[in-house]
Amino acid sequence: MAASQRHGILYQLERLEASEQRSTRRQERHQELEDTESDLEGKILKLRKLRDELKTKVKLQEASARIPITNLEPYEELKNCKENLEMKLEKAKAFFQAFHLTGLNGRLTTKGVCLCFNTAFEGNILDSYYVDVIIKKPLTIQRHSVPVFIPLEQIAAKYLQTNFQNFVYSLSEHLNAYSGRKYQADQVQSGFSAFLARPLQRNSLCTLLSFTYTMDPNEESFPFCARLLYHDLTITLPTSVTITYQGTGATPASWEDQRAVHVTLFYKNALHKVFESFLRVEKNFDCLSSIPRSR
Amino acid sequence: MDEIVSEFIRRTILKIPVAEILKILRIWNFIPESQLKTINFQKFKEDVCQQVVELCKKKRASMEEAAILDIIYHQTCQIKKIWIVYKMTKTPDEEVDLFDMEEFKDTFKKVLQRALKNVHISFRDYEDNAVWIRIAWGTPYMQPNQYKTTYVVYYSQTPFVFISHCRVKKYIPELWQALMTAGNYHKIRQMELRSLYLDSLKSIVFKQYNQDFQTYCLTPLQEGNTENEIVDPRIINENVKEKERIQRVTRETFGDYVQPRIEFAQYKLETKFKIDSKNGILAEREEPFRCLVKFSSPHLLEALKSLAPAGIADAPLSSLLTCIPHKAMNYFTIREK
Repeated sequence: MAASQRHGILYQLERLEASEQRSTRRQERHQELEDTESDLEGKILKLRKLRDELKTKVKLQEASARIPITNLEPYEELKNCKENLEMKLEKAKAFFQAFHLTGLNGRLTTKGVCLCFNTAFEGNILDSYYVDVIIKKPLTIQRHSVPVFIPLEQIAAKYLQTNFQNFVYSLSEHLNAYSGRKYQADQVQSGFSAFLARPLQRNSLCTLLSFTYTMDPNEESFPFCARLLYHDLTITLPTSVTITYQGTGATPASWEDQRAVHVTLFYKNALHKVFESFLRVEKNFDCLSSIPRSR
Repeated sequence: MDEIVSEFIRRTILKIPVAEILKILRIWNFIPESQLKTINFQKFKEDVCQQVVELCKKKRASMEEAAILDIIYHQTCQIKKIWIVYKMTKTPDEEVDLFDMEEFKDTFKKVLQRALKNVHISFRDYEDNAVWIRIAWGTPYMQPNQYKTTYVVYYSQTPFVFISHCRVKKYIPELWQALMTAGNYHKIRQMELRSLYLDSLKSIVFKQYNQDFQTYCLTPLQEGNTENEIVDPRIINENVKEKERIQRVTRETFGDYVQPRIEFAQYKLETKFKIDSKNGILAEREEPFRCLVKFSSPHLLEALKSLAPAGIADAPLSSLLTCIPHKAMNYFTIREK
């Protein structure tokens, strides 16, 4: 190699060979990266599928834990005709009650059926939503009062043609969960505004709530800044709770303890119930302070 | 206070009807109540405007606060701009999109300011988790022109955006890009729907105009002939059956509710002229006959609803007219099938 000239042909050939080697190495590296990328993508899809399967399993378990309503006694021949009718009436009433409890009912219309979704949260009756379905092939939704941010089109695309029961159940889940989240946020805003520094911030679906609060409304400062995320549209308790310090200076140790307690409270309880508990704590302190210190 | 700002405030107040000025100033919450009480509304409007400008000067209003005043004016006196509806789409994602309004505003501002140097962006939250965005456009060499503004109204977690019609069309693509990036969407398209009435557009695209489900499910009442209390039983209404049929068809098409308010519908025809005879210039013409038909009214849909009962048109009306709210369109192009 020392014999080759500076800009001779051999030198050029060597340079071309070296650059070709570099480019093939680069291509190989690029190919490796692409392979790992598609591997990771495949992994993501698998994990998502597993996550969805686990979710449905959990839901099925929760559903089967409830007492079945249709566990009625088998029909028996009764001697008395009147008793027979009365028993039939009682059974029919029980059925209607059971259906009413689910919050779902429907009425036949000239072209199809009008479904009514009555939503509720913890015993409080909330808004009702209607969906008009025309019975023809394919089933179409003529009109509805479902808010635009509920993914009605997606649910319909998934279930309406194939499994009507699932369509109704899924939509009912979404609507009840939305009503529940909205109810919690409204209750806090209207009933506990003294605990909040400013109006609670939310998005249309109430899947992201952000508020700055205090445990004691008599205090001047609002040291807690909470951010609640609901990653599932069919749940009413948050999937992620973060609380940050909202004061100046270093965070006091007592604040850290309270923060940990609050995080657990928000995960496990409805939002307005957490604030109710703050009210109770405050009232307890007031009671204690009014006891005369004569010992 | 800047001359530009004071002039802008003066011109904005001048646009507001005198009866609304105090209400809007209170919402603005920039001038304290005690000073608002000192304004003499009995004088001429120019004088009132000058008084307000003086109060603003004392508090040193900035362009930012003046922009908020402009937004409040447009939110209160809404029939000043033509709104065009756009629909954004994204690839259906497994993950739930958690919309954070503050993040949306931040991202929108960053993206737009990165693309264009001189823009002035203001936000004001609105009811039902919506936001009004006011954008004053400048050029790379000129400061934003506060009189050439575009308004954007966006309801969180919906695919629809309402953008006001503005003569400055150059930067619309950058505006779309900012909206899509901030809202996490991939595509945006203009819908064939526009009107002065923002609330009506909202009720059409959100499908909130036909919400009387309680009465819908019940059987319709038999409409008696209540026009004239005719006592003599020998006098009958000859056309009672036809009238009842027209009422029934109208109710089926338009429903019992108040129609959303739009002021025009436009049909562009690109169809061949159909004529029976083979003679004449227009017969056998290969090219489509271009024609534009425009229906205008202070309340177009209510007017269409009353056509058949008034006897002016046959019931049922053409589906091209009755499909306006269902299809969310008032600009149609009709071509040969």
